[in-house]
Amino acid sequence: MASIQLGEGEKTFIIHGICKDDLRSDGRTCLSYRNFELECGVVSNTSGSARLKLSNTQVLVGVKAEMGPPNPLNPSRGGIEFFVDFSANASPKFAGRGGDELAAEISNMLGLVYKNKKMLDYKSLCVIAGQCVWTLYADIVVLECGGNLLDAIALAVKAALYNTRIPLVTVHKDMDGTEDIDVSSNPHDFVTLDTKNLPVLVTVTTVGSGHIVDATLEEEACSMACIVAAVNKEGAIDGMVKKGSGSLTIDSIYKMLTSAKQIGKDLNKSLDDFLSKKGSDMSSKGFLT
Amino acid sequence: MAGLELLSDEGFRLDGRRPSELRKIRLRLGVFDQADGSAYIEQGNTKALATVYGPHEVLGGKGKPLHDKVIINCQYSMATFSTNERKNRPQGDRKSTEMSLHLQRTFEATIQTHLYPRSQIDIFVQILQADGGNYCACVNAATLAIINAGIPMKDYVCACSSGYVNNTPLTDVSYLEESQGGPVVTVAMLPKSEQIALFKMDNRLHVDHLEQVLEVASKGCKDMYAVMNAAVKEHVSRMAKSMECS
Amino acid sequence: MPTDTKRIQGPDASQSTFLYKKRANTVQPALLEEGKRQDGRSPLEIRPIFLKAGAVSQAKGSCYMEMKNTKVICAVYGPREVPRRDGFVINGQLRCEFKFATFASEVRHGHLTSHTEKDLALQVQQALEPAVCLHKIPKSQVDIFITVLENDGSVLSAAITCASIAVANAGIEMYDLVIGSSLRQTGETLLLDPTAFDETAESESTDDTQAIVTVGFLPSLKQVSCSVQQGQLQCEDSIKALQQCIDVCERYYQVVYECLKKSVKKLKSPVESPMDEAPAS
Repeated sequence: MASIQLGEGEKTFIIHGICKDDLRSDGRTCLSYRNFELECGVVSNTSGSARLKLSNTQVLVGVKAEMGPPNPLNPSRGGIEFFVDFSANASPKFAGRGGDELAAEISNMLGLVYKNKKMLDYKSLCVIAGQCVWTLYADIVVLECGGNLLDAIALAVKAALYNTRIPLVTVHKDMDGTEDIDVSSNPHDFVTLDTKNLPVLVTVTTVGSGHIVDATLEEEACSMACIVAAVNKEGAIDGMVKKGSGSLTIDSIYKMLTSAKQIGKDLNKSLDDFLSKKGSDMSSKGFLT
Repeated sequence: MAGLELLSDEGFRLDGRRPSELRKIRLRLGVFDQADGSAYIEQGNTKALATVYGPHEVLGGKGKPLHDKVIINCQYSMATFSTNERKNRPQGDRKSTEMSLHLQRTFEATIQTHLYPRSQIDIFVQILQADGGNYCACVNAATLAIINAGIPMKDYVCACSSGYVNNTPLTDVSYLEESQGGPVVTVAMLPKSEQIALFKMDNRLHVDHLEQVLEVASKGCKDMYAVMNAAVKEHVSRMAKSMECS
Repeated sequence: MPTDTKRIQGPDASQSTFLYKKRANTVQPALLEEGKRQDGRSPLEIRPIFLKAGAVSQAKGSCYMEMKNTKVICAVYGPREVPRRDGFVINGQLRCEFKFATFASEVRHGHLTSHTEKDLALQVQQALEPAVCLHKIPKSQVDIFITVLENDGSVLSAAITCASIAVANAGIEMYDLVIGSSLRQTGETLLLDPTAFDETAESESTDDTQAIVTVGFLPSLKQVSCSVQQGQLQCEDSIKALQQCIDVCERYYQVVYECLKKSVKKLKSPVESPMDEAPAS
């Protein structure tokens, strides 16, 4: 991810704290997560949106549902497409095309996880098989880039999908056999998505001989490798990618996956609790609070 | 859309406003910690976020540093979900480049550039929701962000747009009113000296009506200034109070 | 997007005949019939591989690899000067480019690099970085160009192996070779070294867990440098699948070692010795 420059002394300090004392620079233990703020329904002309603030990482996700022709390989399924935009607000080096590589990496990771047919009920997104399906365009704007971007983005995407309202569509056959699509213009006629099975991404970063969760920018600069695991609420691993230019032993991978599984389950639970209370908000204060 | 009355017989617009009323404005300074200055503004349904980085050394291939003034680098980008139709590219297309250029010219006229030779100031504006008056919201947000960053300016820059329908000039046009094809005049003004930093007009307007429309836009700018000034003073007094207490 | 005027593109609305073939087939061939896969192998059988180091004479190092129908060629140039001057990096850098030939898969690929190719390039680069002694080539860059001539599954693992042999062939110092392997898990069955059909076919019962796991392994250091899992697996099954892939990598290691040894011997002797197939055990 976007890195900052650290001196050798600072790196040694961080690594020693993590490996020997289970203590990080901000006082957390290796496996504790920071608090995050989540708001749904921030942008009103999207089908669903969410804003997440994880200390100094801020992302805004807007989901737009559009009808269009299906992917020829899957004619009776809807789909989801991700687009990540690093706003220049986060750092001047993201101006112009600066953030394109990182953005491609993140959208590929999300695409890999959501490719699984069991994630969302893609069949219900089909209107007329072979001709017209709903495609969900999830657009992610990274407003502030602190550490742990992937986790924040995945949480916000899950919240935005929970918040999404797809207009009700009825298909009736005309007398000459052609099918007519009727989109309801009543704003209270909508279908929501079932986000129970959606996973949450947990990035476990190796620092020295130990591993940490929810790394800050400084801790990411000290690490050589990390594992990004998609964990759903039952603790099953929906996808896993190793990132970074270091290598790992199979034992450390096992330990990291076990930690990721536990943290993922907890994250999912707290997110689901929050969403069931406040996930359907359609107009919130956004940045004004 | 046929049958849309921009101005009803009783004198009400589509969203219930009178012709000379601005939309509801809500704003906040100092939204981000990482940037040197930041601000968020909501004008009706148009939401804009501005951040300012600088002054810092000239980075990137933006050209050589100027020996007598600061380089102002602006970028205007719209979130892909900000418009009704999903946009494919947030920035880099013609319209965004043109807007970035307008912003740059506006602020080159206002910021005291001679104070920071051989340096660069970056102004980045992001539109989160577009409902007409994009440029105006950007300019207003950017002014507040520059104030938040502590960069000296000659005056506030306030922008307002105005349209002309049924012999009545309208202040602060929304997207629906813009898309009807009527003339839209956008003015960015320094309120105290009443100098105009940017003047833009779309579509056709008879020259006889120009003065009327321009006056309405200037009044809109001054109203904007009153709101922004009050907000800045309130923000500063809050900061001062918290500094006194600590 | 700039289009290449010398290429003759079909009409915009044209579709590949492969899509029509799939729709016509209402009965999909099963993944496993009587315990044998579509190409006749048993689930735990891996394809024989053919390796030739030094296949591209102009490149500093190169390798051509065939895993039955998956054909990958890799060329390495470097260490060369870093062309862009953004930031000073004291250690060397690896730059990887991955490209499917347009005729490689059943559906024609475009000639511009797509997102998948960029992602695969990044994976191969991150798989090789731990193995190459980058501190020995300061301020330089090693360019790795991978082209997939025919895609019959397990492309990433083939590319990783091929690239690491090419880098070794180029004479760049490495800590260890990187060997790639992959498998597909369907319910309780593990299919090692899946072909393209194995990777995309649906299994009979849709409730089974489905996952494709690819691993890049350093055999002497016993470390994993690349790990990609696509699909859902329980944590323990995930580790078991990783372990299986690692065992396959160990089996390939002997073959890779022999191939490199042969290429070095050929440099010593002026007479060309015949290249023979080296089937995996």
